[in-house]
Amino acid sequence: MDEQVSTNERLADTAAARPHASGRLADLTAVYGLAVVFVLVMVVFGILRPNSFFSTMNMNAVLVGQSVTAMLALAEMVPLATRQFDLSVGFHLGMAHVLMIGLQVQQNLSWPAAAAIVLAVALLVGALNGILITRFGIDSFIATMGLGTLLYGVSNWYSGGAQITGLNLPASFANLTEVIGYIPLPAVYVAIVAVILWVVTERLPVGRALYVIGASPRAAELLGIRTKLYIGGAFVTSGLLSGIAGIMLASILGTGTPSVGPEYLLPAFASTLLGATSIHPGRVNVIGTLLAVLILAFSFSGVQQLGAAFYVQYFFNGGILIVAVGLSVYAAARRRALAAAGAGKAGAAD
Amino acid sequence: MDLAVGPGEIHALVGENGAGKSTLIKILAGVHQAYAGEVRLLGERVDPYGASLPLSFVHQDLGLVDELSVGENVALVAGFPRQAGLIDWPRVWARAREIYLAMAVAPPDPRLPVGALSAASKAVLGIVRALARQARVVVLDEPTAALPEPDAAHLFDVLRRLRASGCSVIYVSHRLGELFGLADRVTVLRDGRRVRAAAMAEITPQQLVEDMLGRSLELHHAAHPVENHARPLLAVAALENAQAGPVSFQIGAGEIVGLVGLRGAGHEAIGRMIFGALRPRGGEIRLDGTLLPAGEDVAARIARGVALLPGDRGRESALGGMSLIENLLPSAAIGGQRSWRPLLPARERRRAQAVLDRLDVRPRDPAALIDWLSGGNQQKVFVGRWLEAKARLYVMEEPTAGIDIGAKFAIHGLLADVARGGAGILVVSSDFEEVAALCDRALVIGRARITSELRGPGLTVDNLVAHASIGAGAEAGAGASGGG
Repeated sequence: MDEQVSTNERLADTAAARPHASGRLADLTAVYGLAVVFVLVMVVFGILRPNSFFSTMNMNAVLVGQSVTAMLALAEMVPLATRQFDLSVGFHLGMAHVLMIGLQVQQNLSWPAAAAIVLAVALLVGALNGILITRFGIDSFIATMGLGTLLYGVSNWYSGGAQITGLNLPASFANLTEVIGYIPLPAVYVAIVAVILWVVTERLPVGRALYVIGASPRAAELLGIRTKLYIGGAFVTSGLLSGIAGIMLASILGTGTPSVGPEYLLPAFASTLLGATSIHPGRVNVIGTLLAVLILAFSFSGVQQLGAAFYVQYFFNGGILIVAVGLSVYAAARRRALAAAGAGKAGAAD
Repeated sequence: MDLAVGPGEIHALVGENGAGKSTLIKILAGVHQAYAGEVRLLGERVDPYGASLPLSFVHQDLGLVDELSVGENVALVAGFPRQAGLIDWPRVWARAREIYLAMAVAPPDPRLPVGALSAASKAVLGIVRALARQARVVVLDEPTAALPEPDAAHLFDVLRRLRASGCSVIYVSHRLGELFGLADRVTVLRDGRRVRAAAMAEITPQQLVEDMLGRSLELHHAAHPVENHARPLLAVAALENAQAGPVSFQIGAGEIVGLVGLRGAGHEAIGRMIFGALRPRGGEIRLDGTLLPAGEDVAARIARGVALLPGDRGRESALGGMSLIENLLPSAAIGGQRSWRPLLPARERRRAQAVLDRLDVRPRDPAALIDWLSGGNQQKVFVGRWLEAKARLYVMEEPTAGIDIGAKFAIHGLLADVARGGAGILVVSSDFEEVAALCDRALVIGRARITSELRGPGLTVDNLVAHASIGAGAEAGAGASGGG
């Protein structure tokens, strides 16, 4: 009798496991795809330009330069987990860095005071986005685009449209983003934020709630998740991280240029979406996002060293965005197909 | 498989899910090709796969375009009348009116957008549109599923007029009650074959059900005794909102109570008010004697031990693209967690595995995505999710809708276990067989109020059909009890 049961169970298990086993390989390639691409990028350019590509200077240049993009990509990731867009992050970054320089140069504030104001404004901007979307029911695409453009207006108004040069900025401010030994500080900030975000999104009910909302807002509500609060919180987080990115950018550049900012949106967006094709396929995630930023940065740096012109950057970012979304759509379709096959077989086992 | 429909008759086509109703309709519609056999229309042999027949189909989702006007929706099917190559709008409007009038139905303003029509008017428009093609046979697939009761009665009126005009109607429905008094003949399908063809007057609902199931109906109850508590688990007094009420009833600990009605009767709204998903307009809800504040939201109600399994599995339960672990433990409130307490993957996995084993979910892999599961297995996961919440009162909407019989019995067994554990269960359902088999007691809702209460030996499918139909008004077609 016992044996009978266990045999039946084993049959059921293998029948159920079969579709999964065939899906395993596809899963593995999906999960580690970006990591493999990253290694490939490093190896290929390392072989093509062995001396310059792996030089400390190049590594640091890429890491420092891309830390702002990475921070912005992480900012973008949080609302995207709930399937809401934040198109204001680029404009917001621009305003934050103009304010950061301007408050020191024009208002003679110390840098911590200026940073405190920038972060307070960042929280406000995030909250405004959240309120527009959750209270007034404005589509996030429109609301954040509108608010972002307003922010762009604010930074141009504040600066009079001219670059603010930070001639006498204290060394302690520029040192925020210096390279200590082999370690660029901006990359450290990104790493700290990434670790916190990873814990929140992967290991806390709060983060799971964000993904649940992304999967089905209606189901989330009926599970007792206060969706408006979470979506609002996601935008506040996104605002805060954009503000931090702005402070980093100000420290790196040492000047405040009102036209800077919008061009950061697309790379950040592309990285987040490309990141969603890997690690947790179909879902924006921290590690995937960081890998995507690194892949984009190092492959662009490599192409540049091979002698590509400056405008290749735009081909890169635009192309990657389309390829990334195309890949994730394809991956989703593929998983659905596997799922259908799996359900069929599991059904046959019943 | 055989099906014979006479001229000018309403012919009911019934059978369980998977009995072959849809396949038959699809063959008639020319979607599938028949391997063998023939279709005759007025004695002449025709091939639906090649030629298009004077048959029209009204599907459950009517395929109307809400943003366009009534006239345009008709013209989308019938073709736009033109003058000099341009659309002749006055004729578009006139034609829509004519078709309505031909059926002796008062036409709405044909310029009105369809989105502004009531659910019943939309269903009628669906039929009107079908007739725009000069059909001799109209096939209706579950046309009343989404209709509130008075609207369904209105639709039946239209069908009778259609019959009077010589048109035949093939009427597919799961709601046997409404067939009596409406249909002339019935064909019962089971496992792809016709098991009965009879005049409605010669058959009882019980026979129909037995034909569909292919066995005699056992109306077994979970007949565990429920002592009458001095303080009930749930006490609802004069609860109402725009769709339902006022209703008053009580549920004792360990009791499974059915809240039954035809779809649209308002019973769903009552369950949702108890869960906090709908705001009541008035009345009181007491859980264990404690008055629940009226403005409380879902999260607060879950914290008090109220759970709701939504009826719309795809839209309101499933978390697509997420694993079974995440679907079983989707929120802090359900996992018995605090929002900022870390989730331990190994522990969650063990917990999910235990639930999957207990509920016999296939595949039994906690890392599988919910999308990989069949409907019945998905539903087991969603039931399991709420069992993890360890609620005291479960509101279960259509707990086994659209799932196979094996999973159905498994879920019934689970619910009975939960009740034995001391929780109260309110089964909100339009599935009479389910309520008769599962519940200790049933409250029948008609016209937004409780019209009758059935318990013990009186709780049978027949009685439920009869009472639900009476409550919905004789016009909706209660055969034996139509006069009541």
